[in-house]
Order: sequence, then structure tokens, then C-alpha cells
Amino acid sequence: MATAPAGVSTSARGVVSSKAELPKPQLSKRMLRLPWASRRRASTRRLVLVASSPTPPNISEKVVESIKKAEETCAEDAASGECAAAWDEVEELSAAASHARDKLKAKDPLEEYCKDNPETDECRTYED
Amino acid sequence: MATCAVYTTPSLHSCSITIPAKTSSGFHRRQVIVFTSKRITERGGRRTSEVSCSAEEAKTVVIGLAADSGCGKSTFMRRLTSVFGGAAEPPKGGNPDSNTLISDTTTVICLDDYHSLDRTGRKEKGVTALDPRANNFDLMFEQVKALKHGVAVDKPIYNHVTGLLDPPELIRPPKILVIEGLHPMFDPRVRQLLDFSIYLDISNEVKFAWKIQRDMAERGHSLESIKASIEARKPDFDAYIDPQKQHADAVIEVLPTQLIPGDNEGKVLRVRLIMKEGLQHFSPVYLFDEGSTISWIPCGRKLTCSYPGINFAYGPDTYYSNEVSVLEMDGQFDRLDELIYVESHLSNLSTKFYGEVTQQLLKHSDFPGSNNGTGLFQTIVGLKIRDLYEQIVAERAAAVAEAAKV
Repeated sequence: MATAPAGVSTSARGVVSSKAELPKPQLSKRMLRLPWASRRRASTRRLVLVASSPTPPNISEKVVESIKKAEETCAEDAASGECAAAWDEVEELSAAASHARDKLKAKDPLEEYCKDNPETDECRTYED
Repeated sequence: MATCAVYTTPSLHSCSITIPAKTSSGFHRRQVIVFTSKRITERGGRRTSEVSCSAEEAKTVVIGLAADSGCGKSTFMRRLTSVFGGAAEPPKGGNPDSNTLISDTTTVICLDDYHSLDRTGRKEKGVTALDPRANNFDLMFEQVKALKHGVAVDKPIYNHVTGLLDPPELIRPPKILVIEGLHPMFDPRVRQLLDFSIYLDISNEVKFAWKIQRDMAERGHSLESIKASIEARKPDFDAYIDPQKQHADAVIEVLPTQLIPGDNEGKVLRVRLIMKEGLQHFSPVYLFDEGSTISWIPCGRKLTCSYPGINFAYGPDTYYSNEVSVLEMDGQFDRLDELIYVESHLSNLSTKFYGEVTQQLLKHSDFPGSNNGTGLFQTIVGLKIRDLYEQIVAERAAAVAEAAKV
């Protein structure tokens, strides 16, 4: 059962061959969404996440604190289990901060809609 | 008549499940009923005597995914759930800091929920989360086994923000259960429950580059603190997490590129998909001719690529004394036709239609790694898992039909 890939308009050519071959659709370049090459759509969303949305303040505070504590603990004894546990905590909080940032990324209602319905008129994209 | 499979390790020969008088883990169990046995010979001449037995049949397909923190597990999870259709969301109306993701077919459980020590406890004892002493493997085994057999469980929640263990949430058995975390393959009992296991092996240079990308914008972090954090966790990681890769059915290894000499930015990556041979429901992806050694540069007359181009390699190999096939991609995709061209030359992809891999990659083009081997191989593994799931379901249905006839 061949269905058209999302965001790509295909005219399925009926290829009749003796081997059971999957029909190769003709890709129309006009309808392609190539986000990494496209210049038409707002590219801020495609940039590295680092600059896009801030971490919620409480998690941010925790990360700063934990780094300070880890540096203190390791200044005393760099090879101890406490030092490793302290840096592990830093890692855990950094990961939590990064996930929080991802959640906070502004949810564009049009993007959400277009994710599920790329063939509708509002969601068509054009590439020259 | 219900069937399940038991493996040849001595400790697992008996197939009885006892109901303890009181379980603090709070799960709902049903009674054990039947015991039958038959022998099956594995293909490839390897004989494992599978004794089919016990009460409820295994209803859920369990997938294990292991990787260090910050190594792309969440991205992989999102790609995987998308292959099965639907987006995975945290359980509605529950703890907002829950780590669980639920979609129509799939439930993803984060193994951090089985920490036996919370953050304060670990600090007191001086152990990292990587240490097995900080994890309750007995509970993990019991609950994964229960879910595999179609029994709902009350799973604890580890809150990553507060570092405390929150009250449990109810997890209903799904069609596909994915357990992701640091130790899915560490405990041998849990390993036996897995139908398929994946390990994301990120090399040190790439890990460093990714963590810099993730953390540099964070107030308080500096290059030194990121480096110190990686270094401090390394001994525990090498001792407890890394050895799991020998048990994995598929390993996605991410290395710095060989196309750009002296590149340390980690933007162009060399990714290797190491697939175990001889597995029952998994046939490795190959290039051109299965079992031969191929080196392929698709860029040329038919396809124009921009710098640094794309290099592929495929061949058989041994990995920790297992027979494997390795498919390798170095470089990145710039355009759609490169993707389609590559996809049309790979075989055994388990796609349902031409261009499915490309479609999946395009659908999630904003995910990290969508233009290089990480995204490509994660998507391919996702499709392979879907194929594995369908095969297992078909087998079980056939077994039930057989039993009904008898």
C-alpha cells in the first residue's frame, strides 16, 4: 500500500513490470519541504537550540548551585565518590534543564497543525 | 493453552510465578496455571532449548535502549514512536514531572524511575546514578516481567528536577514497551525479557561536543565544568554502562568524521550501525550484496553532493565475539535526492513503501541528526523494530490458532 510521503507531492506512475517492484513516485520539487536548505520559512526554529528559549529560573538556579558545590567538593578530594556524585548531579540537572527548555519552546499552532496535515492549503511550501 | 519461552540459563528452568503475600511494589498479579514444553532449534545451527511454559503468554514486546545521559535517547524515542504512528505524550492528568511517555501503541519507561537512592541518598553514599548500587534491579525485573505478561503495575517516579522519588503512577501494559535508561541490559534477568536491545555508543569527542552544545548557554557552565563532569563520571560509566554494548542486538556507534581532517566540531559525523547476525526476527540491513564487503561513495555522475560528501561502507565483522554486520555512513545529507538515492540502494530496510525512510526523516527534520547517519540509522532501527513487532505478533497469533485447533 503506497501512500504519498508527507510534504512531498508525488504522482504515482503505474509501473508495470514482471518483477513485483514498488512504484517509484515522481518527486515534484515544488512541493518539497527541505528545512535545512529552505530560506523561505523562518529559520530561527531550525537554529541550534542553545539560543532559542531560556531555562526556567528554578532549574537554572539549581544548575548553578550544583556546579558550585561540585567544584567545592572536588577541590577537597578529586578522586572520591562524593566528587563523582556531585558532578553526576550537575549532569542530571543539566539534562533536566535541557528537557525543560525543549518543553518551553514556543509551540506554534500553525506548525502543530501542519505537522498533521501538510497537504492543506495553509501548509504548502514552495521552493524556487 | 498459553505459551511463553524460557531460556537455557539454569536459574530459569522453572517457569512458576509465585504470588508473594505482600508486595510493596504494589502490582496486580494473576495466578499461574499451565506448564508444557517443546523444543525448538534456532536457525544457523545454534541450539537453544526453548521450554515453553507458564501462565499468561507474553503479550507485550519489550525493547531496551541504553545510552549515557545527553546521548540522544529522547530523540530516538520520538523517532521510534513516530514510526509506529502517533506522538508519545506524558500521561495526562498525572505527575507533570513523570518520565513516562505514552502513545497508542507504545509506552516508554525511563529506568531512572527504579533508582533505589534519591539524590540526597546518593550524595551521602558517594555513588553516582550509574552505579548499580543506586538502582533497584529486583523491582525493575518484577515490573517489566509483569508488564510483559499483560499485568498493570504501579511504577515509582523519579523526579529529575527535585531529585526525589515521587508516589507511583499506574502503567497499563502496552503493545510495545520500551525501557530506556542507563541499565536496561545490566541485570541478566531483565536482559532475558528484552525482545530487542539497542545501545547508543557515542565516542568521547562527540559526547564532549554534544554536551557543549547542550550546556554552554546555561548560566554557570563553562568548558571546564562540562569537561570535569564528563571526566568524573567516566570511571563508573566504563565499569557499568559501557559493557552493556556486548549484549545489545544493535549498536549505533557515533564517531568523529574521517572526511574532514582535524575536525573537532562534531557537526559531521561518522555513524556505524552494528547489527547482530542470527537473530530470530531481525535481518540486518545491507548494501548491494549481503555478507560481502562494500565501500560506496554515492556522489558522482548521477548524484552531486556538496562538501564533505557521503561515504558508505558495509561488511561482516566480529564484535565482542559476536557475528555482526556493520553498515557505516560518514558525512551528511544536504538534499532530498541524496536521501532518496541512498535509500533506494539499501536493502532489507523493512519499509512498507518506497521512500518511507526519507519520509520519516523529513517529518522530523528539526530533530538533531536528521541530516546525518544518526537520524538515518535511528529511523532504520525504528522500522526494523516495527517489523520485529509484527513478526512476533503474527507468530503468537499462529500459535494461538494452532492451540485452538488441537
